Amino acid sequence: MEAATATPAPPAILHPQAVAFTREAQQVERRVGVLFGVTGIALVAAMGVLALLMRLTQADETGLSPAWFYRLMTLHGVGMITGVLLVMMGALWYVLHPVVPLRPGRVYASYTLVVGGAVAVLVATLVGGFGAGWTFLPPLPFFPVGQWPVWSESLFLVGNLLVGTGFFVYCLDVLEQTTTASGGLGRALGWQYLLGREPEAPAPQVVAATVVAIDGLLSMTAGSAIVLGLLGRTYDSGVGIDALVAKNLVYFFGHSIANLVIYLAAGAIYVILPRYAGRPYETSKVFVAGWMGSLVFIATAFSHHLYMDFVQPMWAQVGSLVASYAALLPVAVITIYSMTMLVWGSRYRWTLASTLFYVGLAGWAIGGVGAVIDSLIPINFRFHNTVWVVAHFHTYLMMTVVLWALAFVAHLLERETDRTSSPALRSATIGLLLVGGYGLTGTWFVAGALGVPRRYAVQPDGTVGYSSVGAIFALLFALGFLACIVQLAPLARAAWARRHSTSVEHGPGRAAGTAGARAGAAPQSDERPPGRVGAPLGTAAHLGFAVALAVVAIVAFFPGIVDASETSTRYHHLDHAGQFLFGIVIGLLLGSFGTVSRMLGDHPAWGLTLVIVAPATMMLLMVPRLYEPLESNDLQHALYHLAMAAFGLVAGLGATRLTPLGGRFSAFLAVAMTLMFAAAMTGGAS
Amino acid sequence: MSLHYGTLQIVIGGVFVVLSLLLASAFVVIGLQAGTDVSVERVHRVGYWLRKRWLALLAAVGVVVVGLSLLDLPYASGGAARRTTVKVTSGQFFWAFEPDRVPVGTRVRFDLTSVDVNHGFILYNPRGHLVGSVQAMPGYHNELDLTMSQAGIYRVRCGEYCGLNHSTMDGSFTVTGR
Repeated sequence: MEAATATPAPPAILHPQAVAFTREAQQVERRVGVLFGVTGIALVAAMGVLALLMRLTQADETGLSPAWFYRLMTLHGVGMITGVLLVMMGALWYVLHPVVPLRPGRVYASYTLVVGGAVAVLVATLVGGFGAGWTFLPPLPFFPVGQWPVWSESLFLVGNLLVGTGFFVYCLDVLEQTTTASGGLGRALGWQYLLGREPEAPAPQVVAATVVAIDGLLSMTAGSAIVLGLLGRTYDSGVGIDALVAKNLVYFFGHSIANLVIYLAAGAIYVILPRYAGRPYETSKVFVAGWMGSLVFIATAFSHHLYMDFVQPMWAQVGSLVASYAALLPVAVITIYSMTMLVWGSRYRWTLASTLFYVGLAGWAIGGVGAVIDSLIPINFRFHNTVWVVAHFHTYLMMTVVLWALAFVAHLLERETDRTSSPALRSATIGLLLVGGYGLTGTWFVAGALGVPRRYAVQPDGTVGYSSVGAIFALLFALGFLACIVQLAPLARAAWARRHSTSVEHGPGRAAGTAGARAGAAPQSDERPPGRVGAPLGTAAHLGFAVALAVVAIVAFFPGIVDASETSTRYHHLDHAGQFLFGIVIGLLLGSFGTVSRMLGDHPAWGLTLVIVAPATMMLLMVPRLYEPLESNDLQHALYHLAMAAFGLVAGLGATRLTPLGGRFSAFLAVAMTLMFAAAMTGGAS
Repeated sequence: MSLHYGTLQIVIGGVFVVLSLLLASAFVVIGLQAGTDVSVERVHRVGYWLRKRWLALLAAVGVVVVGLSLLDLPYASGGAARRTTVKVTSGQFFWAFEPDRVPVGTRVRFDLTSVDVNHGFILYNPRGHLVGSVQAMPGYHNELDLTMSQAGIYRVRCGEYCGLNHSTMDGSFTVTGR
């Protein structure tokens, strides 16, 4: 009896005072963390090997052809982003689930989609030879100069679509659950607290996750719009692409997803790093205000990629300049600064995980300096698309995100086993990572200042030496990475053995006896049900707004409007968007009625599927090759336009199967996707 | 053509190195102090005092550098009346200039476009210094104003990944002596 009631000893691996605010991870949290973490790390390792091969090729050491170099470059870009994205999705889920009832089914669906997308990209590049770069800047995929067949280009686009959709599913679940658990969007973002209307602030990871989810949903919608348009172009050469709009959409998608990885990580760091410092991280008004800034800056900074596209409107250039600098403030003043305050004089527990977390903070700060310098337009004019850019984003991706990815997996294993590696081995590992990583990025910074352009399989005369030195440093970094894995392997074996023996002893599903269990304090989240289906148009204001929208949107069916729109592909697609809008509003209205809602039942998974698939299918059918033959027959023509509304209706009904806010937001995104599609796709092949 | 460091690039690189070393030093100091025992109250008192000043410093620097950068935007403005327009057409994997030479001191407006995919026009002066860059996009014309101050051959390299021969897509533009 005494043994059952005694207070357990605190875990050796964490700070003794962390007991007060650290609870044991549930089995599902560990499972998701390990699944995402290990898959992501494996992908990062594989992509790292490709990176080393590329640097050696630039150093003229491999004999690899430019065709193969660009295939590897394309795969490296998508694969590396996907790898770190997976780890950080898992990390945020791991720390968010204890306070918000996220749905495991959703996160596994998301995992399947993201990994499926990564496999598709792998096949498209290595087997199909696709090599248009991870940015697939339109219309490059359609100008292969004999290097890749149509199927590989299509498969690559499908792969990107799957990765984006997987992240969309993840973000929507996060948004639905944080807002439901908090009692609304304003509360989840901390606005009520910021304005002094409520004394209690949301947990920091809730604020971070909600911001990431909103920006993730917006940027994945942009990515889906352009990818679906490009897929249409693969089977109809009559589809044209507006290069400027397409580039905006590509970078809204690509820049944002790369950028969001570090913000996902930040959400996890707020919870994990304090466990080693013994000081909890608490939400403050400054913190909430900073994340409000990040919400805006993450979504707007992407267009600094278009500084040298002089036809981009001036307001966008200046806005991006301001946003790119301003994005630094919350990061430098809140996240990084606050973390150093946690560490300072805390009797910090130095383990493999906690050391990697700490040195990763420095990478974010130093990488940020390079990024801010490059974000100033007159400087960008002289550094744009030189390897300086490669240097700054590798500084924070390699020296922050990759290190934090290793740190997260190390944290899982350290908690599971209550062990870490020896100080000497740890120091050597960190030394290799720092010297190798900063040495490699240093060679890019120096070569970038010289004016060496990026993405060159063959380096300009007299500059090969930078690649040779860079390759040596890359090798050192790879050794450091390998040393981490070697240190984690025995922990993984011990954790596996421990879990296995626990399962045998207590039966499947029983999780007990970990170090974290001794620290348990917070309530188990399974006591709180996830957000339920609810009428998305639940108030008179909602209903009035929806009816007004439907009245306006019905104009899209007027024969005069339809005929006028057919003089231009862009306006024609805009008309389709109007018809889709009409349908989706009707769907939302119908699904908001109690009788219809009861008939449809409580099927959020189906609702989510419909709200994603219906607009996507509509856009795949929106190519001149399919609709132009129908225009000579009035009945077929009318039915085609009604079909646009029918897709909207289906999406709208699907949206009503989500939580009220999730339904409204996903409906808005579906309509936004059709508008972005209309803006980017023009008549005539380009 | 061999590349050489321009003065501006050296200055910017130097600023970056100094700032990075300062930040790295701060992390080393904090890391070394992490093992000590400082009360949370003291950390908060000192930390928040310092944070206000850190924010003020970054905000002030931001206002200054963003403001200054707006004074030196590379975007062409005004008419091309007193400029010599040089039409630059790019494609996989070539650069074509019309005309392909101008006298030294000429105020040039480069009018860039592409016949296929996106390309990047990175211009190096005869000394091998990177002068600047602008994109060449299909369906659009980007205009860059420059005064050609040095006689000799200006080289152009592609700065936007455009396919198999991206790294060997170069061209040249001649500035003749008067």
